[in-house]
Amino acid sequence: MSSNRWFATGNYFTSYKEEQRIFFTSLDRSAMVLLILALFLWPLFIQVDNKYMLVIDNILVAVVAVMGLNLVTGFAGLISIGHAAFVGIGAYTIACFGRVLGENHMLLTHAWPLMIVFAGCIGAVFGGIVGLPALRLRHLYLAIATLSFQMIFQWTINFMDFFNQGQTISVTRVAWVTGTVSRSEHYTFWYYAILVAIVLVGFAVRNLLRTRYGRCLVAVRDNDRAADAMGMHPGFTKVYAFALAGFFAGVAGALHAYLYRGVGIESFTLSHSISFLAMAIVGGLGTLHGAFWGPLAIKILDLQVEQLSEWVGNHLTFATNLATALKPLSFGLVIVLFLMFEPRGIANWWRIVRSYVKLWPFRY
Amino acid sequence: MNMNNKIKWMFLVVAVFMVTLPVHTFAAGKVYKLGLSLAITGPTSDAGNPYAKGVEDYFNFVNDTKMLGEDKIDCTIRDDQYNNDITKRNFEDFMSQGIVFYLNYSTGSTLALKKDFEEEKIAVIPASFHAGNLIDSNYIFLPIASYSAQAIGLAEYIVNNHKGGTPKVALFIHPSAFGRGPVEDVQKAVSAGLKMEIIEVVEHGKDLDNTAMLQRLLSKGVQYVISQTVQSPVATMLKDAAGLGLAAKTFGEAGKLTFLGCHYTGGNDLVALAGPAADNFYWTTSYIITNEPSAGATAQLDLAKKYNRDEKAANSHNYANGMMVAQVATEVIKRAKAKGKEINKANLYEEMLAMNGDKAFSPGTTVGPVTYSKTDHAGVDSLQLYVVKDGAFKSAGTPFIPVYTGKIK
Repeated sequence: MSSNRWFATGNYFTSYKEEQRIFFTSLDRSAMVLLILALFLWPLFIQVDNKYMLVIDNILVAVVAVMGLNLVTGFAGLISIGHAAFVGIGAYTIACFGRVLGENHMLLTHAWPLMIVFAGCIGAVFGGIVGLPALRLRHLYLAIATLSFQMIFQWTINFMDFFNQGQTISVTRVAWVTGTVSRSEHYTFWYYAILVAIVLVGFAVRNLLRTRYGRCLVAVRDNDRAADAMGMHPGFTKVYAFALAGFFAGVAGALHAYLYRGVGIESFTLSHSISFLAMAIVGGLGTLHGAFWGPLAIKILDLQVEQLSEWVGNHLTFATNLATALKPLSFGLVIVLFLMFEPRGIANWWRIVRSYVKLWPFRY
Repeated sequence: MNMNNKIKWMFLVVAVFMVTLPVHTFAAGKVYKLGLSLAITGPTSDAGNPYAKGVEDYFNFVNDTKMLGEDKIDCTIRDDQYNNDITKRNFEDFMSQGIVFYLNYSTGSTLALKKDFEEEKIAVIPASFHAGNLIDSNYIFLPIASYSAQAIGLAEYIVNNHKGGTPKVALFIHPSAFGRGPVEDVQKAVSAGLKMEIIEVVEHGKDLDNTAMLQRLLSKGVQYVISQTVQSPVATMLKDAAGLGLAAKTFGEAGKLTFLGCHYTGGNDLVALAGPAADNFYWTTSYIITNEPSAGATAQLDLAKKYNRDEKAANSHNYANGMMVAQVATEVIKRAKAKGKEINKANLYEEMLAMNGDKAFSPGTTVGPVTYSKTDHAGVDSLQLYVVKDGAFKSAGTPFIPVYTGKIK
């Protein structure tokens, strides 16, 4: 490692331990601390309408979900197109508690952080079960297996009375040290709650990738037979990759349930699964910060296209069908363009910018 | 012009602007903000699009004709693409803008936002007539009779006009809260004494062919099919029935199927989709139709003409639907103003609850008056039965109120 840990222009590792640092330079660490501080402090200084706070919260929930998907698809190389169902499992865990114990039960109102973790655990259990076919299936066949889970999930929720046949099951407001979180505080409160969750799971993923279990994921993705020969257990690795993805998705689902104060099947359909996959691809598969870029890019694109569709729908009556198609069209186009021209996603742009800044004023 | 003159002119313009500004502000009156979130694009936009136009045109008409004096209604219309999460975002946006009355659209989003409406204490009229919207809710007002009342009304018509023994009926429904809503209530009506037999409840998918289903229903002795869904699946079913020669030529023809449907199954769009197969389809709604002359139909067509709407939108029952909710919202504002009340959420809610008895409102676009009270949140209680004859809907009988709706309460 460079002797000056503030202005290192390259990575000069002298030991494996150095290579496993969370932050390579002091500048990296300081920048991260400042970023996290800024993310926690800005709502105190800037007033944002509920609409935009909801958009921001929604992006953050998607970040948690995409982090999970990135683990299974990006790091472990196992394609999953049923991720929204895992998110739904987390959300419906909260809803089930509400239906069985009563909406205002203390567990839901006061022990909500525990409930969120518990929802993650249920997601992990389902993830592990759905991951079992990964022991035998790969590529397209595994994709179909995860797709079937998505279908089973939707069918079950849609037709079971217990789940209100997919209609919204309401979720109550939670309590905090200052009392019940009111409507005016709701979105800001959940901004902080989700942010804490992101910081925790973000560092958890970063740490996981430093451990042998994290390296196993990458090894199994690159060549599972070679990984097996090296003494790793590809089967176990694949199942725990799915379980971990299920955990993250479950947490995201619980956060979604509390944020929207209700759980309905419409938020966990196949199109949402594809949307999560698109976020992971656009952000950059197999990178931690890709999980941040993807949701941000796709949600903002969604917002812009929504406005364009609305304008077209309002002003060009003859083009209403076109307006209806704009969202899926732009969405599909973005995925195709990224796959063709930037398969490493926005994370690669970030890497280029970083290396440019790091080497500035020298270039090569 | 030299520099001095330029400066003088600039000062003069600024001075005139400053003097006239307050005058304009006072003369402009107040602006009442309303919001509407609905599917202009995406699923069900075929209904949402004319609905939005009806709302927009009527509020423009209110402002252009100074119906509220110098005061104006500013109704922001947002597309939610039939997505609950977007509807929630739109609603939050409207609340930040300070709306005093809210117009919603889908069943799913109305149910999902019910608690928000309660907390915000804002009167809401959705385009969904799902009876479940009113459970545990004080602020949601259905514009017309619920889907349950419509389905029960159709069931009563079958029972009253069927010749022979107990009529055998199938329900053909949308696989969602919107479609399933009336099933339980129709079953309750049967339990309460409505003499008919429900043979099967069919939740349709995205089937492009209903042959097997129609043959199955017929083999079970079904004679009537009540639909609670949107137009396209009904059109597919009608075309298949016509192709197979299973559609009844007259009401209740033995050995054939007579098709009936609730509000969103019918209208001109169904005729356009099903063509001649739509003949003899029975449809109920509380709205008037433009095929038949009436003051309401003239008002609807004139409004559409004034704002350059095409024939399709002008004659749509969903245009009338949108127009009617805008009429109700305008009426409560007018009434609150007449009483010298401030136009806010609480006072408009109060006016909604007072809309009954001699204060019932007749918008002209419906077959009966709009009445609301603390215990009655369904606007127009009367329904009209229409039937397709020679490619156009025609009235069948006079407006009626289903009897069993009251009996199962």
